[in-house]
Amino acid sequence: MIRPLAGQRAGDQQDNEARLIARAKAGDAAAFERLSGAYADRLFMLLLRLLGDRGEAEDVAQEVMLRAWRAIGSFKSRSSYFTWLYRIAVNEANRALERRARRPASVPIGPDTLQLPAASSDEPANRAENRELRAALVRALDELPPDLRIAVVLRDVEGLSTQDAADVVGVSQAAFKSRLHQARLRVRAAVGDAALAGSGA
Amino acid sequence: MPDDHRWAQLHLSHYVDGELSPRGRRRLERHARDCPDCGRAIRAMRALVYAIQGLGGPAGVRAPATIFDRVRLAGGARSGPPERV
Repeated sequence: MIRPLAGQRAGDQQDNEARLIARAKAGDAAAFERLSGAYADRLFMLLLRLLGDRGEAEDVAQEVMLRAWRAIGSFKSRSSYFTWLYRIAVNEANRALERRARRPASVPIGPDTLQLPAASSDEPANRAENRELRAALVRALDELPPDLRIAVVLRDVEGLSTQDAADVVGVSQAAFKSRLHQARLRVRAAVGDAALAGSGA
Repeated sequence: MPDDHRWAQLHLSHYVDGELSPRGRRRLERHARDCPDCGRAIRAMRALVYAIQGLGGPAGVRAPATIFDRVRLAGGARSGPPERV
């Protein structure tokens, strides 16, 4: 059997997605679930990173899907569906963070949300250092204002391109780059160059 | 040159991300060769981005099964009960 070329598979996926979008726009909720379900894990991870609280991330994720379902009729295929869904998620996360800021006792990002166990190939001696650096980074990201935190999470943690990240946030690429740079400078100042020097980069 | 220094400090992220034009890259590198502060800043920025990229997240996080609950409530009113996917 001849395996399809990667480009062909991507093309099939796009066709499939376009069909699901058309059905969802026509009011087919099952098609909407299949369409959005493909991004659900990534979207939930993004919310967890931005909000740091599993319960809140779950609540916001449900709201994101509801808003996307209600707005699917206005989705224009000029942007990718993924970017569009992420934009709704970032807006909803921002609203949740604003609500939180108005509450007297704010909930900080949980210590476990951004941390991965050290890669198994890490030397034990490096691991402790990495753990400390990770903890310092998580603290520094937690202390950033939401717009700066979102910039770092989208670009550096999620690995979105500058263009996609700028689209998600709804600003120009130049504005996004400037925001990202400010965010990184603040994180660098908070973590300190000495800690970064041992990070193995 | 103070102008180059200010410009370099503003464009460190662009440089580290490979998003400067070839001309901009040459300008920054020329300046950083003679400016210990900018040289240090480039190394720190590279290490920082590398470290943040390595943060990842908890492995194997899955979206909760409840993620479409509100859609199902709303969707039922539009098109009958949605089939499970």
